[in-house]
Amino acid sequence: MAFPVQSLRSRLLLTLVVLLLIAAAAAAFALDSLYRNLGLRALEDVLDAQVMALVSTAELDGEGKLAPQNLAEPRLATPGSGLYAEILGSQGSWRSPSAVGSGLNLAAEPLPGERRLEHSRLANGTPVLGLSLGVRWETEDERSRDFVIRAAQSLVPWHRQLLRVRTGLATGFLLLTLLLLGGLAVALRFALGPLRRLEGEIVDIEAGRRESLGTGWPRELAGVTGNLNALLRGERKRLERYRTTLGNLAHSLKTPLAAMRGLVERGEVEPAALEPQLERMQAIVQHQLKRAVFGGSGTTLIDQPVGEPLEQLRSALAKVYADKRITLSVAVAPGTAYPVDAGDFLELAGNLMDNACKYCRGSVAVRATPWTAADWRRPGLVLEVEDDGKGIEPAERAHVLERGVRADESVTGQGIGLAVAREIAAAYAGTIEISESRLGGARVCVRLPGR
Amino acid sequence: MRLLVLEDEPALREMLVQQFRAAGFAVDQAADGVEGEFAGQEYPIDVAVVDLGLPRRSGLDAIRAWRKAGRSFPVLILTARDSWQEKVSGLDAGADDYVTKPFRFEEVLARVQALLRRTGGWSQPLITCGAVELDTRAQEVRVAGAPVELTAFEYRLLEYLMLRAGQVVSKAELTEKLYEQDFERDSNTIEVFIGRLRRKLDPDDCHQPIETLRGRGYRIARG
Repeated sequence: MAFPVQSLRSRLLLTLVVLLLIAAAAAAFALDSLYRNLGLRALEDVLDAQVMALVSTAELDGEGKLAPQNLAEPRLATPGSGLYAEILGSQGSWRSPSAVGSGLNLAAEPLPGERRLEHSRLANGTPVLGLSLGVRWETEDERSRDFVIRAAQSLVPWHRQLLRVRTGLATGFLLLTLLLLGGLAVALRFALGPLRRLEGEIVDIEAGRRESLGTGWPRELAGVTGNLNALLRGERKRLERYRTTLGNLAHSLKTPLAAMRGLVERGEVEPAALEPQLERMQAIVQHQLKRAVFGGSGTTLIDQPVGEPLEQLRSALAKVYADKRITLSVAVAPGTAYPVDAGDFLELAGNLMDNACKYCRGSVAVRATPWTAADWRRPGLVLEVEDDGKGIEPAERAHVLERGVRADESVTGQGIGLAVAREIAAAYAGTIEISESRLGGARVCVRLPGR
Repeated sequence: MRLLVLEDEPALREMLVQQFRAAGFAVDQAADGVEGEFAGQEYPIDVAVVDLGLPRRSGLDAIRAWRKAGRSFPVLILTARDSWQEKVSGLDAGADDYVTKPFRFEEVLARVQALLRRTGGWSQPLITCGAVELDTRAQEVRVAGAPVELTAFEYRLLEYLMLRAGQVVSKAELTEKLYEQDFERDSNTIEVFIGRLRRKLDPDDCHQPIETLRGRGYRIARG
């Protein structure tokens, strides 16, 4: 997924800010609604108590009007106090002095025994919560009358309190969020410190101020830094090899060049005279090219399945040696893989298989099997290439593996395949061994150790 | 035999073209992948020599395009890096053999001739049809063991027919394959050369190696 913010720290912080804000908002909302419910319940209780007080002090007068005899609650007696009461009956109503002129306007008219809660507004717009209770009053003459007793309370003080609570909640959660984020930023800085150190050391390596990464990395990074160090070592080795190869190449070209210069100076520039020197230079270039192609290293590489490249080589060589009609069999144990540079493996197997095809009479057999040992986490590889040719004499075996390895030896450009294979195997700490094949010719066995 | 040289380095291309012409091939040439691919698709090529590193389109892509279009002439690749990775990818793309640079022309010629023989179903450099023996390597012809002197064009004509022994080869095909693209064509020339070839190979008119199939072409019997 494409993500615009590239720093790990910013990504983490951004995610956490969003998560924390959502969590804080949810918590504030839950607390707010809990507080509101509890507050309304308390208001309702107050109204209930007022209604009950009115019921207990009310008496029926001669005209059939119900009114409280004395007002225990002083607020009912004070106009505009915020607490209002009224009693409605068929013969007339009573209204508390506080309600006079307030425009109290409750609508509910519950039947006896019923209770209704409602929100309403006074004439001046003040919101009120009202409770109406229906009662049936038994008179002395065995008749009954129905009344509605109402109490109402202004919601303004409560709303004011609610606002205070909400402001408090919001500030509190915002502060908490900021505090947590600050803490996280510090924690991240601490946790990602090794990454910054790694970055710095890599910059130092690029600038040539250090050769490899230091030690003491946290467990999560130790694998990466170990692999990076191995890669650096491999690159340095490769560079050294390039330098050596280049030096060898220049050095070995000097002799034929000198010979040609001599010929030119003596005025002998006939093609026939130049030919052997040209031939020699061509052989040297070919030889060095062949040795320069492989990569080596090994420790940082991922497992390469070996079946596919062997199969590719099989079909390639079947084309090249089509005239010989060779039976070329490739047997690979299922899942055989080895951490090797793909080009190196092709070069190793290609040289051995090409040699076998060149010298065989009609059949070549290739076998690749894993090589396991108790203390290896990743298995090694055994590659065997056999042919039915004349084979290699025991006395010759060491020599063919060394042929043309040193640049100042006379090289023919021919038959250096085995020597190159040996060098590649050596780059992977492996060995190569020549013996007799049960097919009748040579059997070359390469063993590359695991790790 | 009609051969395509696909190589961008002018000196090397010129050298290959001249030497292949000297060896009796009708040679077409191209200096980049696009041109080369076109030549391989459009001209009646028998064999191509292809450098892999070419401008505009790689040699690999040109070979792939030919094979995809069903063009099955053999292809010899010239690889600059002597690595199996390059050889394998070239052979995998549809090439038939490789030669590593720097090379000697004799090496390239031998590979090309081997590829042509292989396409004709011959696995040895020596091709024999009845009493006629053709050595593609030495470019020598013997009839009943006695060497026969042929001109370059006569040799090319005989080689073409013998590599396709048993098949009928039309005059049009011979004109197309034995002359280069911009050559003046005249099918009567082929008749003249066939006549001369017959006189040289069979002066006594006893084993009649080249058969004429009226309105269809010529054939040399296999075996």
